[in-house]
Amino acid sequence: MNTSRRNIAPIRVVPVLLGIALAAGLAWPQTTDSQPAAEKRTSGPGQLWSKVSVVLPTSENRFPPGKGSQITGQCLICHSAGMVLRQPPLTLDEWVGEINKMRNAFGAPLPADQVDILAKYLYTINGRHSSGGPTTVDGQGSR
Amino acid sequence: MRQSNFRSTQLSRRDLLARVGGVGLAGLLGASPWKAMAATIVELPFVNGRRELVTNFPRKGAMLLQRTRPPLLETPFDVFDHGVFTPNDRFYVRWHLANIPTTIDPATFRLEIHGHVRQPISLTLDELVDKFEPYEIVAVNQCSGNSRGFFHPRVPGGEWANGAMGNALWKGVRLKDVLDRAGVKAGALQVRFNGLDTGVIPQTPDFMKSLAIDHARDGEVMIAYAMNGEPVPLLNGFPVRLVVPGWYATYWVKMLNDIEVLNAPDDNFWTAKAYLIPDTPFANVVPGQQGVKMIPINRMLPRSFFTNVKDGAVLKVGQSTPVRGIAFGGDTALAQVLFSPDTGTQWQEARLGPDHGKYSFRQWEVPLRLASRGAHKLMVKAINTAGSAQPDHANWNAAGFMRNVIESVSVQAV
Repeated sequence: MNTSRRNIAPIRVVPVLLGIALAAGLAWPQTTDSQPAAEKRTSGPGQLWSKVSVVLPTSENRFPPGKGSQITGQCLICHSAGMVLRQPPLTLDEWVGEINKMRNAFGAPLPADQVDILAKYLYTINGRHSSGGPTTVDGQGSR
Repeated sequence: MRQSNFRSTQLSRRDLLARVGGVGLAGLLGASPWKAMAATIVELPFVNGRRELVTNFPRKGAMLLQRTRPPLLETPFDVFDHGVFTPNDRFYVRWHLANIPTTIDPATFRLEIHGHVRQPISLTLDELVDKFEPYEIVAVNQCSGNSRGFFHPRVPGGEWANGAMGNALWKGVRLKDVLDRAGVKAGALQVRFNGLDTGVIPQTPDFMKSLAIDHARDGEVMIAYAMNGEPVPLLNGFPVRLVVPGWYATYWVKMLNDIEVLNAPDDNFWTAKAYLIPDTPFANVVPGQQGVKMIPINRMLPRSFFTNVKDGAVLKVGQSTPVRGIAFGGDTALAQVLFSPDTGTQWQEARLGPDHGKYSFRQWEVPLRLASRGAHKLMVKAINTAGSAQPDHANWNAAGFMRNVIESVSVQAV
């Protein structure tokens, strides 16, 4: 890798702009500390096309015990439990909608006869009573 | 010196951060005991908004954990008070599919351009750097569902507060130049982008997004190989990602390795069936409303935020305090930021900080002197050069997309 190729990083505009801001008498907060030292150390511009290898953390988050909780193993194929546990409380019908979205849009291998059991479990751990209003769940699966 | 007075005021405010420790948490989080003792929990201001501040993701500092796998990491909002460039190690992270390569070897990586072109090409990273004119732009990357947690009624999805956004200097090459090298044939309709991530099971649709051919060739859409002067962090799309200035981040495909020119409309799941919005102003509907035409999400709307004052802040009566924040115009430049000290009765124009281009965050600031004791509601509103202003009332749609209501904070003057 030649030097010119390595040196592709953009010029460091932040300090320059800060200088302009200070010269203009503005009290904008410091921006020079926005590039942490660790980042510079691990991958400066001279290493741009170095091989990158990382380890992503694994989740220790578990679904709480309860009737139907054994089915959540199907959920964990594609995502960790936190996504489910951090949802707003949903009605039973809304949980059914979410589960069917996972089955129909994303191919979750959950048999149809287990949908209600899983929905009741999720409703038990994170449910809200239906107010009789419309469901707020749509089927896009984009979120 | 007003600045330092203000900061001490901030320190005395009721803080939303709570320190928790103990062996139970260590077990729950799988962290080492000494780490767990310092684990910080942040309560985002909505139901089920408890988030752990984690530091165990590669090249990431302290981030709000929403989901470990595939990662959803939110930028703690305090970061946005430090400047308009969001540091790479605090930039939010959002992946759809869990099969994310954890090793990228530049020696073997190729970017393929194929489909409805005269000559398919396969580019190494060095070729991308050497054979095309460099291009730079500062642009906000914002998740379509940023702020979803504030929707009322609540909707399921990624339950973000306002930190699923960031602003960076992107450097790379124009997509137009790369497409021209392959030679787009007459009749091309769309360009589809695919990255290296895939679903865990084959039934899961691969994540791909498409842009109209004219948009793809507008000279602004780009392939970025540097972010704020550094390689793009793996979790933000190393080695290259698409940058679509002014458009929601769903189009900014990470780990981009495949570009396909299409001569028929893209019918893949993620373009045709996901990320759809009601074709109404502000993508707004009434909960339960049926029969609304749905279209792919597209251009961003203007937004503005307070960064140095939070709900519950205590300010001194009669003392001038700089109140500041960030704003952006969405799909075009910011024209004005208006500030109201009195729940929107009176508005004054805020002073704007340095301009880094029309797609960038820009700082705003006003001196605030509250004349009477008690509660005051401060508001901020951005207006862009197309005349689009943040609305008084929050939008609502079932996917939780495109929130851009006027922001407010409630403070006490004592």
